[in-house]
Parts: sequence; structure tokens; C-alpha cells
Amino acid sequence: MLLALGMLVIFGVAIVVLEPLVRGSSASLERTNDEMSEAEATRRVRLLALRDAEYDFQMGKLNEADYRDLRAELQAEALEAMQVVEMEKNGRAVGAGPPTREAIEAEVAAVRAGLESGTTCSTCGSGNPPGSRFCAACGEALHLSGSPSA
Amino acid sequence: MNIIGELALWVSLPVAIWGASLAFIGGRQNRGDLVLSAERTVYAVLALITLASLGIVDTFLNDRFEYTYVASYSSLDLPTFYKVSGLWAGQTGSLLFWLLLMCGFSALAVWSNKTKNREFMPYVVGTLMVLQVFFLVVLLFADVNPYARLGFTPIDGQGLNPQLQNYWMTIHPPTLYLGFTAFTIPFAFAMAALLSGRLDSRWIVVTRKWILLSWFFLSNGIVFGMRWAYEELGWGGYWFWDPVENASLLPWLTATAFLHSVQIQETRGMLKVWNMGLVLTTFLLTIFATFLTRSGLIESVHTFAENTKIAFIFLGFMGSIMALVAVLIIYRLPQLKSSNQIESFISRESAFLFNNLILVATTFAVMWGTLLPLLSEGFMGQEISVGPAFFNKVNVPFGIAILFLMGVGPVIAWRRASKKNLQRNFLVPIGVGLATAAGLWFAGARVGLSVMTFGIGAFVLWVIGAEFWKGTKARARIEGEGLVRAFWHLVMRNRRRWGGYIVHVAIVVMFVAFATAPWYQEIRQTLDPGESAEITSPLGSTYTMTYEGLSTNFNDREDNLAWQAVALLTVEKDGEPLPPMSTEKREYIRPERSTSTEVAIRSTAVEDLYITLADVNTRAVQMRINDPTAQTATFTFMVKPLVSWIWASAFVLTIGALIGMWPGGAQTPAPASRSAAGTAEPAPAGD
Repeated sequence: MLLALGMLVIFGVAIVVLEPLVRGSSASLERTNDEMSEAEATRRVRLLALRDAEYDFQMGKLNEADYRDLRAELQAEALEAMQVVEMEKNGRAVGAGPPTREAIEAEVAAVRAGLESGTTCSTCGSGNPPGSRFCAACGEALHLSGSPSA
Repeated sequence: MNIIGELALWVSLPVAIWGASLAFIGGRQNRGDLVLSAERTVYAVLALITLASLGIVDTFLNDRFEYTYVASYSSLDLPTFYKVSGLWAGQTGSLLFWLLLMCGFSALAVWSNKTKNREFMPYVVGTLMVLQVFFLVVLLFADVNPYARLGFTPIDGQGLNPQLQNYWMTIHPPTLYLGFTAFTIPFAFAMAALLSGRLDSRWIVVTRKWILLSWFFLSNGIVFGMRWAYEELGWGGYWFWDPVENASLLPWLTATAFLHSVQIQETRGMLKVWNMGLVLTTFLLTIFATFLTRSGLIESVHTFAENTKIAFIFLGFMGSIMALVAVLIIYRLPQLKSSNQIESFISRESAFLFNNLILVATTFAVMWGTLLPLLSEGFMGQEISVGPAFFNKVNVPFGIAILFLMGVGPVIAWRRASKKNLQRNFLVPIGVGLATAAGLWFAGARVGLSVMTFGIGAFVLWVIGAEFWKGTKARARIEGEGLVRAFWHLVMRNRRRWGGYIVHVAIVVMFVAFATAPWYQEIRQTLDPGESAEITSPLGSTYTMTYEGLSTNFNDREDNLAWQAVALLTVEKDGEPLPPMSTEKREYIRPERSTSTEVAIRSTAVEDLYITLADVNTRAVQMRINDPTAQTATFTFMVKPLVSWIWASAFVLTIGALIGMWPGGAQTPAPASRSAAGTAEPAPAGD
């Protein structure tokens, strides 16, 4: 009985561990496409930092001149990251040209509006179609405006 | 079951070696099949070690005293509850338990990264399996195999040390171990980042959640230990700077430093080498903690076993990790360059930097004090003892500085802060702090460092309160929400920052409670039945304790008692009667004749009355002499303000930490896709 159980344990482990080698099944070793690139991550950090700077300004931690400078710096950094993201998306030759300051302003406004309406994920910053209950990028539950948990 | 368990332990070693080898080879050669097989070994070893652990629990439950471990830590009369926890009662079992938890976290890490962070996984799995191989080799070959047999079967075991038969003692070690072992995962990811050369923001985001989880367990484990010491050891304190207490504090300090400095890396791309260093140091310190606890190298209340062979194995292992990591960091240095510089001395970055310097300095101070006795004995042949006085002298100023920074950090903006804004933001909180300190000083609290702590505590609490209020108002204004809704959104949309502030509140309360230590009152008095003692609390009330008499009990084999003497006291506070209190002295039969004291504690929100039976006429009690001298007893009476605040603040800390790590659950790391946004989780540039 003991011997049988012991053999069962050993064979069980051997089957589980050796199965991929025998049947040739394989694990992925590359970053998948839906995972965020470094530039995309930088872009989101900067956009959300812009929003945070606004809070700091409103809460009296930054004076107006500093806030303006900081905003300009963050915008420039976001701009740079956005260009890289665009290039990654469309390949090297992009005809669309670099995004402008207005484009960033529009994007910040979109992020804020998305957070407000609950379609932008408060966790990863990804936008989602209206009515989504979970973030398509990270799976986090979205806080729909009007719902008690929002 | 025990035979299967022992077999499982042996089988797991080749499986783990297989896993470690295949993971690294698969990673180097880009072979997905090898990596998949290696990942399967993580689950397989978890299953095998679970069997091995169940086998040990089974030997305990069935009183299999032919096993050395069971004979040493159990007995026929031991309650079932303590038989199950026998798994971590002694050195060998707790090493197995440590390995079990490590395997559990490893499996969780592999499972939660089945479809993401794939580029790291070969090296993550490889690192984890190397660590498991190390612990298995120690277990099987360093005379600490929990399945070792005596060669004969004793009728009964030696029993569990009665001081360990306490509720807190059964949950304190597992909680600490959870904290220690959870840190294996950040270490594995750091190694994977170094080995694979993928040193962008990804690894740090994956590890951050694990570090918070580990920190959460460590914090609670440390507080549980304090509680056990306070209730069980009978000296009236909760922290003695004992080597093993220090060992659990060291990784906590460096993990705390990391949780702050990682935010500089996320928002500003700085301190990459420093953060890498902190993760690796913290991991080494968790290994160091097991080493200190279980090597028997340093005398401490925790060292229940002596085995120096294992000490050298651990030292060699830590040395090799350190060397390997140093080489890897130097090799990868070009990729670890900072992308920014600190722009202003007055900025949140520099506040975090100071916080880190102080935490690391504290780590060194505690480490030095812990190791000095050992080093001096080793190199000079003469032991220098380092007592609590040294630790308090060095660490109290560090503690006060950290406390102060907790009030400064939140109010300073990232990158730069103007002096004028600072003045405006600090004027009121500093006023509140100074007023608190002055008020207490004039009320008669004349201990400089403590009053300073109270004052700074008030300053920090005011700052944090104002942050919540101003943040809510700002949100209400920017987003056009009502105050309640704005407050809820404020906290929920940046849980990490606001959870962190709640943790800060807990730390402030804890520090304030610690700072009342100079006012602890203590008297020692010998009383005959009918006599009274009086002790006045620093807050003015007077306790009168009247000794009513001693009742004794002999040779109660069932309760493992040689004798037991219970002193009953009636207690009055300012003339008002309180419920009577009883304190005992016991001598246990097993494991060896040892006496222990059961303390009586009356705890209120303001202060604790703590009574111990310090001494009885043992000879008279044992001889059952029936004369009045047999009733004479010596008591220690103590009044300790705000002790219950320490336990309450641990609760607040738990809530804050839970808020901070909530989304995605405490046990799973952030999915890469969401977490690559770094600080965007849940909101940006937050702290």
C-alpha cells in the first residue's frame, strides 16, 4: 500500500514535470503585444502627473509660476513619449507628424473626462468604451459614475 | 502518511534541481518547453513539501515520539491546537514551514504570471528554484531533518515550552514567516531583471505589490511578537532589542525605505541602483533573520536550539548571493543610470531621500548593535554586551527625525516647492505642534525627547488631516463633486497615497505611545496577606492593591504542573473598587523544570495596570509548610500609559496597508499591462 502510494507520488510528479518535454508544449518567453511598452507607460505616468500637479497647485503646495513651469516640463515629456508611442504604433515612417501641445491638452481632458464618467480605468489609465464594467487592458472593475462604489 | 511525507521531502530535491537547471537553460536558449517544464516543478515541489509538512503534523497528532522533533516539542498531554502548530515550534520544523510558505508564494507568482511578464519568468523560476534547492539541502543534510529518528521510542515527549503555549505565539511566527518568505518573489524578479537585462519600469511595478504584502505581514508579525512578550514574559515590556526582534525589524526597515524610494524611481526615473540594492538587501536580511533565529549563534530568548553547522551554511549562502548580485549590478550599471536629477533641495524627492538615509542608518545601527557582541567575542575573545540603552540612544533620534519627515513629505510638491508656499503650509501645523509640546511641558511632562515626540506627532497628524481636507476640497472644485463624494473618490482613486497616510497615522500613534515610556511607574513590594501597596499613575489616579492570599496546587500531571501558586489581589482606583486581579507563578515539569509567571493586566484606553508575582517562598510552597511565612509574596506593580494605543495603532496600520494594496487583491502582483503605468496605479505621481 505504502509502496503503491510512494510510486504514485513519484510518477505523478514525473508526468507533470516531463509532459511539456514529451509533448512539446511550450511557454511563451516574450512580452505579449497587449502589454504596455515603456514609452506608453511613460506617457501615462506623465499625463497623470499633470493631473496631480493640478491638485498640488489647487491644494497650495505649488505657486502659480512653479506650477506653470512644471506643467510645461511634464507636457514636453509627455509629448516626447507620445511621439515614441505613435512611432511604435505606425512603424517608423509616420506621416501624421508629431502631436502638438493642444493634442496633449486634449488627451489630459479626455483622461479626466474618462475618469469622471468611469470609462478610464483609475488603475492603469486605459480608456474603455462607454458602458464597460471592467477595464479591457487590466481587468480592473471600473467605477461607473452614479454607482455607489464609484 | 509520515513515510510518504519523508519520501516527498527527498523527492522534492531532484525535482527542484531539475527545475532550477531547466529554467536557466530554457531562458538562455529561448526554449519554451524547458521553461514550461521548470514552471511545472514549482507546483510539483509545492505539492511535495505540502505532503512533507502534513507528514510532520501527522507525526505530532499521532504522538510518534520515535521522531526526534516530535519527542522534543510535543507530549501526550499537549492540546491538539499546539500539536498542529508544532510544525513551527522548533528549528527543524520551522525551516520546513519556511520552505512550505516560500513554495506557496512561488507557485502563486508563477500562476499569476502565466500570460504576462513572460520575459522574466525563466529567471524568476530559476532563482526561486535555486532558493528552494538551498533550503532542501539544509533540511536534508545539515542535521535538521524534521524526520530524523531517535532510534528508540520514548513513552512521552518532552513537551512544548510552556511560554510558547500562547495564542500570540502560535500566530506570531507564521505571520513573520509570511512576511519573510513573500519577499522571495521581489528578489526573484530583481534577479530576473538583472539577468535578463530588462531593467525598465516593469520589474519594479511587479515587485512593489509583493513588497507591500510582505511589509504588511512583517509589520503584523512584529506587533504580534510584541504582544506576546508583553503578555507572557512578565517583565512588563514589549520590546527588548533582543537579537531576533532586531532581525525581524531589519528587513522591515529596508522594505519601508524601498516603499518610499520606489516612488522616486516611478515618477522621476532616479535611484535605480539604490532601489535594486534595497530589494536585494531586504531579501538578504530575511535570510539573515532565519539564520539568527535558527542558528543558535546568538543568545536570545528565541534561540531554542544550537546548531552551528547550519550557521556556516547560511553565511556561505548569503555571501555567495551578495557577491553574485554585486557583480550583476556592476555589469548592468549602464542600464541603471538615472534619467533625472533632483532639481531642488526642497522637494518631495529630497524628503524621500532623507527618509531613506535615516531608515538605512537605523538599519546599520540595529545591525551593528546586534552583531557587536558576536564579533567582539569572535575577534577579541571578549564579549561586549549591547543593551537596550545603546539601541534607544541611537534609534530614538532617528525615530524622531522620521516622524518629522512624515509631516514634511506630504506638503512638499514633487520637483520643487517654493519657500512661500512652504511657509503658508507649515505655519499652522508647526504652531499646533509647538502648542502641544508647550502645553504638555507646562502640564508637567518634563522629558525633552518625549515632549518633542508628542509635539511632532501633533504636527504630523495636523498635516495629514489637512491633506485629507484640502484634497477633498480640491477634488470637489476640479471635478465639481459634493464633499462626501469627492472624499470617497479622492481616497479610492489614489489608494496607495491615502492608504499610506493612514499607515502614517498609525505610526505616529505608535511613536506617541512609545514616548510615554519614561513615565512608566514600577514598584516592587513584599506583602503578607491583608497588606496593601499603592502606586500612583503619571496621570494622577492612585491604585491600591490589597493582597488577599495565596492558593497553591501541586503535582497536577495533567496540566504539566509541579506546582502553581495563585495570588489574589483586590484593587481600588482612587477608592473605587475594581474587579479583583490574580497573578501566578508556576513550575512546569516538562520540558525541564522551569518557572514562569502569569501576569495580571488591566488594560484601559488610558493606561495599563500590570501586576506580576515576582517571588514566593518557593521552599515553603513546595514543602507545603502550613505556616504564615508560606503566604508571603513579592509583587511587581506597574502602571503603563497608552500601551493599548500600540495595539490599536497596529489595527489602523492594517487598514491603511489594506487600502494601499487593495485592487487586484493582496496576493497577486499587478498585471503588467496595468502596472507598467507605474505611478498610474491607482493615480500618478502619488506617494
